[in-house]
Amino acid sequence: MIAPYLALLIAFGVVPIIVAAVTSMEPSALNPGGGPLNYLQALQDFRFLPALGNVGVFLLLYVPTMLIVVAGMSLLLDTVRGRWNVSLRLAYIVPASLTGASAVLVWYFLLEPTLSPYQDILRALGITQGGQIWRSENLAWIFALMAFFTGAGNWIVVQYGSLQSISEDILEAARIDGANAWQIGWHIKLPLIQKYIVYMGILVFAAGLQVFVEPQLISSSVYPGLAANWSLNQLSYSFAFQSNNLGGAAALSLMLLIVCIVGAVFVIFRTDFFEGSGVKEK
Amino acid sequence: MTSILEAEPIINRSASKGHLPEKLTAAGRVGRTGVWVMLLVYGLLSVVPMVWLLIAPSKTAAQLNNDAPFSFGSFANYGSAWEHLLTFQDGVLVRWLLNSVVYTVAIVLLSCVSAILAGYALAVTAIPFKRTLLITTLVAMIIPPVALVIPLFIEISNAQLFDTPAAVILTSSFYPFGVFLAYIYFSTSIPKELYEAAKVDGAGEFATFWRIALPLSKGLFGMLAFFSFSASWVNFFLPYVLLGSAENFTLPVGLGVLFSSTPALNPGNGAQQSVIGRPEIALAGLILAIPILIVFLLSSRLLVRGVLSGSVKS
Repeated sequence: MIAPYLALLIAFGVVPIIVAAVTSMEPSALNPGGGPLNYLQALQDFRFLPALGNVGVFLLLYVPTMLIVVAGMSLLLDTVRGRWNVSLRLAYIVPASLTGASAVLVWYFLLEPTLSPYQDILRALGITQGGQIWRSENLAWIFALMAFFTGAGNWIVVQYGSLQSISEDILEAARIDGANAWQIGWHIKLPLIQKYIVYMGILVFAAGLQVFVEPQLISSSVYPGLAANWSLNQLSYSFAFQSNNLGGAAALSLMLLIVCIVGAVFVIFRTDFFEGSGVKEK
Repeated sequence: MTSILEAEPIINRSASKGHLPEKLTAAGRVGRTGVWVMLLVYGLLSVVPMVWLLIAPSKTAAQLNNDAPFSFGSFANYGSAWEHLLTFQDGVLVRWLLNSVVYTVAIVLLSCVSAILAGYALAVTAIPFKRTLLITTLVAMIIPPVALVIPLFIEISNAQLFDTPAAVILTSSFYPFGVFLAYIYFSTSIPKELYEAAKVDGAGEFATFWRIALPLSKGLFGMLAFFSFSASWVNFFLPYVLLGSAENFTLPVGLGVLFSSTPALNPGNGAQQSVIGRPEIALAGLILAIPILIVFLLSSRLLVRGVLSGSVKS
């Protein structure tokens, strides 16, 4: 019964890593001898540090904003009951249907002063042309904004779900002790859903590290070259498809993959998130 | 602290609220208003882009530029925008749409069936290396799928599968998150006695699964299909890298082609006299987004229960 999944796991979970590891040692035009030099050359590529910096700034903006807004909004949502609560949750998941290519499209429109539903705000800020916003120094902000609005709503609803697992007795007791809504949220609810927030943080970080679609689409079509090799994954893509340097591409994507695996192992063994799931030894 | 497995099932807390009516002071009332303002503003920010996108194809390019952002053009414009889209490379858009449907259906089927079978095997049957398999599955589930794209590309090219539908379908059907959800479901939501009773009656592993577990897994199947669909319908990076010719592209990749080969978003692109303008490209984006939106809204009952804490209970 496990055979179909096992075949997929081996073929598309394990083998690609082995193939990439082998490829990362192969010779290229840049490194005719092959070997670990591919890793060093990927790191020493003149585009690597800028891309690392871009992704770093992007993560610094994106991850904390996600954590704070999602935790805050789910706590606020938890204070509302009934029909309003359901309607708000429906509204919050709408942006998740605009991801990837359609997110790029929508944000192009949102930031274009002649078209944007927010054109009054943009004009008040003195922005009359999209080109004033789409500049390389603003890209980290723009991509963080796009990623945030795509993902936050769903996470608010998910974390609201986590809040529903808090027993009413605990909240009742706190109320009897005279705690107000703010104190209950901060001192009781938040600590109780902390591990879900940590889990989300690691997932969001790992996904953010791999940012690709938005800068790639912007750069390849809308504002040509603006975000070329902006992210680490784009650089890896360029190694493979433009420089014909598969060894370097494999080396760079393996290094990114290892960061994500470390994050995954941390969640599994260093948090109690998967406790009782049969993974940890008692 | 309870673990994900021990999390309380969702109880209707609203019923027990109201034992202690909160007395609102003046400061409390200001706070309450602030809460509502934030909730509503965030709700508004969430729906504005989608509403705008829904309306945009109703207007001509000139109306889009000159009229108020939320003014409605005419229904006829949706039709003409669609006809304009069809002129792009002999109606290749229909091909992309069809590809997206076919790939997604195949992925949802393959991924859900393999995940349910594996989740059941891990939860109920005795298989060797169970713990290793579980840990590998968890690691694979937490790693973002994008991280494996370049390694998958290398593997797929070596296997001579580059630019084939099978490349996208097979690689996207690897669904560790689904396996984990199914595993949790079969190990917590169905009493062990049920499986054991079936085995005592002489049913084999597969018969037990078929007669006992499967009929109880409709909700699980729905949830797995939901996540599998919403991931594969919009997937961009993997098909972008694994496919080479336009006839095999999916809608998201095709949308990228529209961006780069029409002057809609960048006047420097393509022929100036192209009929693909902003209303047309908005319609193409809408066609990509609408199925996801519909599935989301239809599945909102799933989301109401909570995905992290509630999903493990059915």
